[in-house]
Amino acid sequence: MEKTYTVIPKNCTGCRTCELACSMVKGVDGNLGHSRINIYPTGPDRFMQMTCMQCIDAACVSVCPTDALMRNKETDAVEVVEERCIGCALCETACPFGHIHFDELKGIPLKCDLCGGEPTCVRFCPHRALEMRR
Amino acid sequence: MTQILIDNRKFNAEEGETILEVARRNQIDIPTLCHHEALEAVGACRLCTVEITGEDWNGSTKLVSACLYPVEEGLIVQTRSEGVLRLRQTVLDLLMARCPESTVIRDLATQHGQVTEYQQFTDGSKCIMCYLCVRACAKLGCHAISAVNRGTLKEVAPPFHEHAESCVGCGTCATICPTGHIEMVDTAETRTIWKREFEFVTCKVCGEPLITKAYRDYALENRRLPNDYYTVCSACKKSELSGHFARLSL
Ligand code: FES
Repeated sequence: MEKTYTVIPKNCTGCRTCELACSMVKGVDGNLGHSRINIYPTGPDRFMQMTCMQCIDAACVSVCPTDALMRNKETDAVEVVEERCIGCALCETACPFGHIHFDELKGIPLKCDLCGGEPTCVRFCPHRALEMRR
Repeated sequence: MTQILIDNRKFNAEEGETILEVARRNQIDIPTLCHHEALEAVGACRLCTVEITGEDWNGSTKLVSACLYPVEEGLIVQTRSEGVLRLRQTVLDLLMARCPESTVIRDLATQHGQVTEYQQFTDGSKCIMCYLCVRACAKLGCHAISAVNRGTLKEVAPPFHEHAESCVGCGTCATICPTGHIEMVDTAETRTIWKREFEFVTCKVCGEPLITKAYRDYALENRRLPNDYYTVCSACKKSELSGHFARLSL
């Protein structure tokens, strides 16, 4: 992996363009409920971008009974292999960062997969609060 | 490495792969109902039937289920021959007779041009006997449900239709069921499934239901993550941590 997904909270203005970009690309019709990144206000004019940490020893990967969560060797992201998921939802509760949420209609978990190495949120962030850094 | 012919196109296949695996990898559509990549194939629905033959078979062919049949050198597969299509129609016709109320089955039947309206004999059941729920439950190591009875009376149920001791109320069976047959009712405090009521662990910050207590205990025992992973809901975890990270990054 050459670059690391990096959040720079001091640049974040809380405009939520990342959320919208993510839900446009990854969700259904830009439904914000399916965004894989969320902005949380943490103080006056302060925001924190919360998304997947792509943990090295990931809890979601270790709880999955069917190896439906696997690390992509190229991007180092933990990805959901939909075809292998049986919908037990263990990963959702296990994630210590509360990142994974369950798509009730499809019965599969939703999580950030770094868009295959070029995250859409990074491209759309107008304030350089999200970057791929070397 | 083996070479096989599917619908007159040549494909490479690994030893031990099934026809379905090779076909799917090469974007050849074979309909399935009981197949799941993470679960052992059982060949319950027969919708994936294909016609096979070989060069030295003297023109004879046979119908096999693609999800079970392992490839062999020189295998010639037809996925849309007349016999295959007729058999798929029969399979869907029987499923329509069994559960006319299932939209999944109705859609498939319509796609295959085989819709007969039947009087239902299994009062309102949408179970198509694909065993996905049974296999998923077994995969989690619970084995709480299985097929009981025979013939037209066959159904999926916990042993003796009683409260299944080994059921943890995870709801995987209801999620994986392709026709929505399995009934699961959630309230703010409890989940009812297979005639058993389970209490929820609630988020200690906001009080939202998380997972059933039995499922949490199962996860603690089998997945070895600390107990406090299961005490706060995702939304609250995120907002708590955002404050924590903010302090760290100042
Ligand atoms: S998918 Fe092969 S028999 Fe059901």
